[in-house]
Amino acid sequence: MTTRATTQPARRGPVGVTPVETVPMGDLGTIVDEDLSTDKPWLVIVWNDPINLMSYVTFVLQKLFGYSKEKATAMMLDVHHKGRAVVSSGTRERAELDVYRLHEHGLWATMEQSS
Amino acid sequence: MSSPIRRRRDGRYVIRLDDNARRVLADLGQQLPEAMEARDPMVRRLFPPAYTGTDQTGAEQEYRDLVDNALLNHHTRSFEVLVATAHADTLSADEFASWLDAIGSLRLALGTRLDVHEDMEVPAPEDPMAAEYGLFTFLGELQYLMVEVLASELPDEGRPEGTL
Repeated sequence: MTTRATTQPARRGPVGVTPVETVPMGDLGTIVDEDLSTDKPWLVIVWNDPINLMSYVTFVLQKLFGYSKEKATAMMLDVHHKGRAVVSSGTRERAELDVYRLHEHGLWATMEQSS
Repeated sequence: MSSPIRRRRDGRYVIRLDDNARRVLADLGQQLPEAMEARDPMVRRLFPPAYTGTDQTGAEQEYRDLVDNALLNHHTRSFEVLVATAHADTLSADEFASWLDAIGSLRLALGTRLDVHEDMEVPAPEDPMAAEYGLFTFLGELQYLMVEVLASELPDEGRPEGTL
């Protein structure tokens, strides 16, 4: 497992996810940028906690998002070593659903809009 | 020694546990809904905030109003299944999943009350927390073995939606 695969998790999110880098920005002008700001994707973050087992966190990410064991393990290690990792991204509604499913499984997850 | 937890060919799960351990699980499964009802601080990790930071309090409140009841029902249901099947010889896949949810929630509640943190030292036997910490450790071992069985049933390569 390499650490490289864990640095850009938003690029390989679930179906329907808007990758961060396709959001039009920059040369469209200030007014348009402001209008688009509400369309920036929401990121779902899992935070490190001292209680959940590492194998459990990996299992939940595989089960809920269909990630490979390698990808889920890389995300879990990111959570463990860096304190947090993006585990999915998309619309606000989608992020709320993902946060809810993670909370059902006892993971410490929050959502925030991509900056 | 083989794992005390396995999935049978007919899809049902067997957990080898003595009666004392089963009684403890049933007792805890009965206590937690009461703790949730009383909004005991030990269950706060079962209802974590949904939004990062504190600048989203309006959105957070909306979210809480929308889902807290469903989340409470989900947790309550898993404890009810644990209590109802604590002494069962075998578990269905759904019951086994509820056990995993319930045991994970019990660990979060006990771990919160014990203020478990990384690199924590195991309490000495005379420490008043020692018994509860032992329980916390037991639940962790159980969860680890259950996850081992369930993870072996998932495809290592993931599902299609996880690779797109």
